[in-house]
Amino acid sequence: MPAIRERSAPRTPQHRTASGPPGDSPRRRSPRPARGYWPYVLIAPAIGGMLYLLAYPLLRAVLISLQDFRLRQLIAGDAQFVGLRNYRTLLSDPRFWEVVARTFAFMAVNVVLIMTISTLVALMTERLAKAGRTVVLCALVLAWAMPVVAATTVFQWLFHSEFGVVNWLLTSLGFDSFDRYPWFADGGAAFAILVVLIVWQSVPFAAITLYSALTTVPSELYESARMDGASGPRIFRSVTFPMLRPIFVLVFSLEVIWTFKAFVQIWVMTRGGPGDATTILPVYAVQTALSSQRYDLGSAASMLTVVLMSGVLVLYFRQMFRQEDDPR
Amino acid sequence: MKYRLLAGSSTLVMAATLSACGGSADEGGDGHTTVDVWLMRDSVSAAFQKEFVKGFEAKHPEIEVKVQIQEWDGIGEKITAALASNDAPDVIEVGNTQVAQFAASGGLLDLTDSKTELKGEHWLRGLAEPGAYEGKQYGIPYYAANRVVIYRTDLFEKAGVDAAAIKTRDQWVEATTKLNKGKTQGIYLPGQMWYALGGFIWDEGGDFAAKSGGKWKGALDTPEALRGMEFYARLQALGKGPKDADEDDPPQAQVMAKGQVAQVISTPGGANAVIENNPGLKDKLGFFPIPGKSADTPGAVFTGGSDLVIPAAAGDSEEALTLIKELTGDTWQKKLAVAMSYVPNRTTLASAVADDPGASAMAVGAANGHATPNTPGWAAVEAENPIKDYMTAALVGGDAAKEAAKASAAITRAMNANS
Amino acid sequence: MTLLRPRARRLPLNAAACVTVAVCLFPVYWMISTAFKPSKDIQSADPQLFPHTWTLDHFRKAVQADGFELFWRNSVLVTLAAVLLSLVVALGAAFAVARMRWRGRRQFMLMVFIAQMAPWESLIIPIYIISRDTAMLDRLPTLTLVYFMITLPFTIVVLRGFIATIPPELEEAAQVDGCTRTGAFGRVALPLLMPGLLATSLFGFITAWNEFAYANFLIIKEQDNRTLPVWLSSFQNTFGTDWGATMAASTLFALPALVIFLLLQRHVTSGFAAGAVKG
Repeated sequence: MPAIRERSAPRTPQHRTASGPPGDSPRRRSPRPARGYWPYVLIAPAIGGMLYLLAYPLLRAVLISLQDFRLRQLIAGDAQFVGLRNYRTLLSDPRFWEVVARTFAFMAVNVVLIMTISTLVALMTERLAKAGRTVVLCALVLAWAMPVVAATTVFQWLFHSEFGVVNWLLTSLGFDSFDRYPWFADGGAAFAILVVLIVWQSVPFAAITLYSALTTVPSELYESARMDGASGPRIFRSVTFPMLRPIFVLVFSLEVIWTFKAFVQIWVMTRGGPGDATTILPVYAVQTALSSQRYDLGSAASMLTVVLMSGVLVLYFRQMFRQEDDPR
Repeated sequence: MKYRLLAGSSTLVMAATLSACGGSADEGGDGHTTVDVWLMRDSVSAAFQKEFVKGFEAKHPEIEVKVQIQEWDGIGEKITAALASNDAPDVIEVGNTQVAQFAASGGLLDLTDSKTELKGEHWLRGLAEPGAYEGKQYGIPYYAANRVVIYRTDLFEKAGVDAAAIKTRDQWVEATTKLNKGKTQGIYLPGQMWYALGGFIWDEGGDFAAKSGGKWKGALDTPEALRGMEFYARLQALGKGPKDADEDDPPQAQVMAKGQVAQVISTPGGANAVIENNPGLKDKLGFFPIPGKSADTPGAVFTGGSDLVIPAAAGDSEEALTLIKELTGDTWQKKLAVAMSYVPNRTTLASAVADDPGASAMAVGAANGHATPNTPGWAAVEAENPIKDYMTAALVGGDAAKEAAKASAAITRAMNANS
Repeated sequence: MTLLRPRARRLPLNAAACVTVAVCLFPVYWMISTAFKPSKDIQSADPQLFPHTWTLDHFRKAVQADGFELFWRNSVLVTLAAVLLSLVVALGAAFAVARMRWRGRRQFMLMVFIAQMAPWESLIIPIYIISRDTAMLDRLPTLTLVYFMITLPFTIVVLRGFIATIPPELEEAAQVDGCTRTGAFGRVALPLLMPGLLATSLFGFITAWNEFAYANFLIIKEQDNRTLPVWLSSFQNTFGTDWGATMAASTLFALPALVIFLLLQRHVTSGFAAGAVKG
């Protein structure tokens, strides 16, 4: 039955681009009309999963954030509603705002470094000879494959105050002040190490994705730009970047999400310390929930995290919507 | 209707097949009840654990004991998860600084009725009090220990230092300075041993936190507490202890086992761990109480220890109680005290370890024993532990007063987060 | 002169490549080499960049530690199940999104994108409560489901991109030849999709293989159901100072991921290109 329909619908690229935006009356105007229930059957498992495993827990989390929910309530389960009290508590706590500011700083530093370095690495990789390219790609893939917990453990070892190779290297280079320097005791240093770790872990994915996108740019475009006498940076600005804009936005958004949610690395390495120096929002939420047993405040903190993150990602959503408009 | 009938009959068939397989499936096999016990890492030796399980199972053949060792790191969350579940372990060992919050949570079985049978009137106060909440007893005292100085008799002799003569802090520092020559470390004191710091602070008359007007407030920035930290720093400098780690990272027993450390501050049981790692040190370890400010009072020490609790959600609480009765009864308490150099859970049993040099050094210190603030809020302080950060910051040359104020604020916040 | 010029130009490029490779690989190398060094060389004031003497002691210690094989098996089971499940579910959804037009398609994609921002660390308490009330605590299937859900949104996004790169005309041709629509997809598009599926499954693999918080909090009493990340962290607690053994354990933990990624390196790099651009 579908086969007949398929054949009856003419399909040429021109025709496709000519068709209007979907949504209002897809059946008539789209080249591929919905065939009854099929699409819904196909997305049903995904929807089901998202409803039960994500939306439902999320709803429970919202509920918790509106209740007085502590250890006693977790065990006995007779929580009382307190309205927006938890949110008020958080928003009037100067420590919370410090954490928010730190989260944004952390994210900004990481994302800028990741995007810059991975773009450079991607451009470099594309220009390499074949053998070199393979080696670089393999190295990137290996760094990417390194499990977070293992990588974090290794970084702790690299920066170990007594036997760490970093202190040894710095000391042998003549920086004697790094002899047995306790990296994790100083807020700034601990912050810096986490940035290095996260950049190290994130660049491979971003670089590989950008590199693969670069390979899809037709070389004629570069040729003609070069013939026009454009310089390297100029070509990047006016040819490469516009071509790769969607992918830049995608990678950028993913990195924003991932660094905003960086949790395991920090939790395993510093638990948010020393002091509050590496406490960003997810760490704060977990600390409040699990260590102080204020599950209500912790939940409220993560709801606010989601709101703040969405704020940063407006761009992402706009791009996405534009793409969905663009019929294929 | 038809469907249900079919389902019903197939259940019957299945039941028949199952029972045909022989043996009854209830009660976990052949009439045994399995009691799940959570003990903390290194709280008992593997040998003692084996001996106890064997002895207990011989006496109670209907109960099978399954011991799981838990790590101290992150234990609060783990116990929380267990208490809130439907199928919790039957017996859990909980540190005496953490038991108060769980007693208050409603997730533990009320054991007040067994208090008399367990001879509760002789319990050590430092263990019994945190295990009680609103007049009811939830935690049963298990064992206690406090810190002493473990020293190398041979190194002391070589340096011409008489350990028995060390009675005051000044003498202690003087002796340690003398020992701290060449490859030998006078004392291995990691920067974050906050229980030791507590002792020095209590010596000065300070505390970690103080209650004023019904609210707990961090007190590390008081002059007394700052003097305590000052002494800690002075002592810490007489060895190569890392400034950014506690006694578990690396385990100080392993460090001492390498042979170049003259003293460590540890519970007497730590000596066993040293010998385990380096049997050559077997007859070369001695003990003395942590010296106080003057010769007539020993140094203040933190009374550490554990309670045993039964979660309300435990499946076999009756058997769990049987196990607790045995483990906290005379026989096993005496054996435990000897094996691990612990203070037994009751004052009447103190004679059990009278001959043990480590235990007698510990007993001297115990006379000046202190506890962390007895409130459910304290566990949150330990979970975040701003004290450790403060110690490191002060030791690496930070402004102690400023760092102490910061840490005190963090303590205040953590202790009051839940009220 | 003419011969030299491209070389001279390539020099900084190759130098940069060398630096990149070194920076990427050093931590991995350092982990593996530490694992092979005897303890006295590890805890020495000047580390050796290359081990003078090799030892397998640390690996022996790690493998002989309680339950290593069991946790390894658990991790493999949970990870594979979660990845397969999310691939199958995502394939269906991605196909519907990339190849069909239907009411609610945009809303569905928006939901998928939003799902990527889910604050998983904070859902741990609700999920704990839900699992408790449905008697799913302490069980590996619970972890499988959670990991499936964590990886699903990203898998859908990437797979959709991959499917969009395959010209529908190919399937249509097959349909003309008498295949059903599913048959056409299975016989024509699926083989072309293989690199994409592999690349996507890698992401799921690394996420599930790594996950620590849920594995730690949802597996309470049945310690036989623990997974490797939890084991690794408790191993670190137990062996604290023993960096050799800790690094050996980390190596054993990282190895499957490293090997699989390296084997599929070409697919990862080429596959992501196509998929991601359209995504």
